[in-house]
Amino acid sequence: MADQESMLSVAPISREEVVRRKAFLEFADADVAILEGVNEFAARYTDSVIEDFYRHLMAHDETRAFFTDPDLLLHVQKMQKAYFRRLTEGNYDEQYVANRVSVGAIHERIGLPVKSYFGMYCYYLRAVLERLREEYKESPEHAFTVFKSLMKLTFFDMGLAIDTYIESREHTIQMQQEAIRELSTPVLLLRPSLLLLPIIGLIDTQRARQLTEQLLRSVRSNRAKVVVIDVTGVPSVDTKVANHLVQAVEAARLMGAVSIVTGIAPDIAQTMVKLGIDLMRITTVGDLQSGIEEAERLLGYTVSKITCTEKARGKEQS
Amino acid sequence: MSRPRAPILRLGDTLIASVQEALIDADLLGLRDELVVDVKRYRATGVIIDVTVLDVLDSFAARTLRNIVQMTQLIGAKTVIVGIQPDVAFAMVQLGLTLKGTDTALDLEDGLARLEVTLGREGRAR
Repeated sequence: MADQESMLSVAPISREEVVRRKAFLEFADADVAILEGVNEFAARYTDSVIEDFYRHLMAHDETRAFFTDPDLLLHVQKMQKAYFRRLTEGNYDEQYVANRVSVGAIHERIGLPVKSYFGMYCYYLRAVLERLREEYKESPEHAFTVFKSLMKLTFFDMGLAIDTYIESREHTIQMQQEAIRELSTPVLLLRPSLLLLPIIGLIDTQRARQLTEQLLRSVRSNRAKVVVIDVTGVPSVDTKVANHLVQAVEAARLMGAVSIVTGIAPDIAQTMVKLGIDLMRITTVGDLQSGIEEAERLLGYTVSKITCTEKARGKEQS
Repeated sequence: MSRPRAPILRLGDTLIASVQEALIDADLLGLRDELVVDVKRYRATGVIIDVTVLDVLDSFAARTLRNIVQMTQLIGAKTVIVGIQPDVAFAMVQLGLTLKGTDTALDLEDGLARLEVTLGREGRAR
């Protein structure tokens, strides 16, 4: 239940919006009255419609997969019955809307595809149309009117549910973007006064700003003299991205740290030259390894592999 | 005139201009003139300008600092700007003030080390 409520908060639909939607579907008070008028008849046919409906669902692999648990099946059938009855009970107020939205959210949560969702509505409308034709043999005109009102209402419901689907996906995308943003700007201390800033993914203005600020703070707190900025993970570089890079490098220089940019891919190098991006002010080397070697040279480190005899001596001492 | 906003200290062959509070344009020009005179007078070979306390460096300040670097260079002293804060550095590059051709260091300590390296090397060459 708590889950349902949290899903509700994902897609709050205002009273005005409900009015707008109903107006667009031309769903008026007359339609409500018509639907209420067939409520008694609907109560009679609901059970048989539900039975047909689930026979149809179970006949297709894609939808059957959702009802492998018999208890669940019973529960869902009960809910479905309640919903079908609800369709002709009038009073399509905010609570009704909220309920539809939460049902849409649940369907999205369990991963029911939109095509199945639509298909189910289509089947329902067809089943009801059949019942209406038989019931109102004498006055097909009336059957037609009822069906029209019912169609408006189900399209109203479908609109709500699909919006929940979309909203929920967008919410997920947004969360992921935030996660990426948080994860992707580590500044690593590689050696005393040597920082490594691996950039992965696209750089936009906001991220560049965050990246630069973090770099500058790290330069200060680690007393860094050299920064290696590795752009191997940056998929494309345009004028804007290059500018961000230059700004980061120059800001670091104002704080007394030299930057080395590494890992510019060949095709990116080509694009950059074609775009006329000038990185002459920045030290660039081919790959991360040479970048770190260059940094070590600047800092006065020499790295050498120890020989076998030295290794043995080390072991003896320890 | 009250106490100087950027007193100039002597440390061997090095002059240290330690900015104490926000500088207006006239203060900057005063500092520039004073430094040039002092470099000549004390035959200094190194100058450090410590701007740690400044939380803004505008285009005028940046230009004056570059001028100081060039002027002291002409009379034989190497200048290092130290203590630019992260926020200040970020704001400066956004305004396009990159202090091109100027030596910078994190703080006073690093600045002195930088001068030692550059001047020491020059000394050996002579």
